[in-house]
Amino acid sequence: MFSTRRLVFLSLLVALGAVLHVLEGMFPIPLPLPGVKLGLANIVTLFAIRLYGLRGGLAVATARVLLGSLIGGVFLSPGFLLALSGAILSTLVMAWLFNHTSCFSLIGISMAGAVGHNLGQLLAASLILRSSAVFYYLPVLLLAAIPTGFFTGYILRSLLDRLEKTGQLRGMTRE
Amino acid sequence: MTRGDKCLAAGILLTAILAIALPRLHSSLFSIATSSTRAVIKAQGKIVREVDLSDRGGRSTFVVNGRVGPSTLEVEGKRIRMKEADCPDKICVRQGWIEKPGDSIVCIPGEIIVRIEGAAPLDAVTR
Repeated sequence: MFSTRRLVFLSLLVALGAVLHVLEGMFPIPLPLPGVKLGLANIVTLFAIRLYGLRGGLAVATARVLLGSLIGGVFLSPGFLLALSGAILSTLVMAWLFNHTSCFSLIGISMAGAVGHNLGQLLAASLILRSSAVFYYLPVLLLAAIPTGFFTGYILRSLLDRLEKTGQLRGMTRE
Repeated sequence: MTRGDKCLAAGILLTAILAIALPRLHSSLFSIATSSTRAVIKAQGKIVREVDLSDRGGRSTFVVNGRVGPSTLEVEGKRIRMKEADCPDKICVRQGWIEKPGDSIVCIPGEIIVRIEGAAPLDAVTR
């Protein structure tokens, strides 16, 4: 089980992730590419993986999607199922890379997470629609994953640097 | 960015480019007849309509009932688009016109798929 201290930080991350999730759904980025998002909530998931490992990441990602969809009023809708499967697959990909490889920085892991998110979403969409036609859209999402993954990874890198410098990071991971 | 990150980004880029280029190359190499195409419209798993997209230059609209409500499709000459939809995010509408075989418009909330198929007499030939 998580200690009380961890539980508090995990809850804060869930709240932060849910807010980013909802806000991002409200303001699509002004690009002529439908369905492309920055993936701000992914910053929080990767942060949770960095601090508390795979279990922490999965807990934050699933709770964030559940809470975010309840706030947004899309709970159990197809969009919710897409978000959930995308969030879970991207968390698994990022946690595996984080724990088992050493050649990627947070930026690379974040890009791989963005790709995992896209694959998870399209997988869920193809199951819901019983059609593989949705994979037609994969190349666009893959291209978008590079800048968005870079952006979110870069933000997390800056955040961690700052937290490390002020010593707050140790406080967050202490039992 | 580490060397690994750059390799990863290059890998993603290459995959995306190949995924875009290979089907096009394939259809141009094997010169699949694209003179006459049709749009197959599926709603909630069933084919509800097939539209012949031969270039008559005319413009017509029709309505398909999806899961969340009626969606209006518009045909103009050889191309088709989702003109209006009752779904919340309008991703299908923003996709705009499609006309090449293999192109698709997918509306996930409405469970509507529009896919363009070449009207080639054979799917494939094996020797």
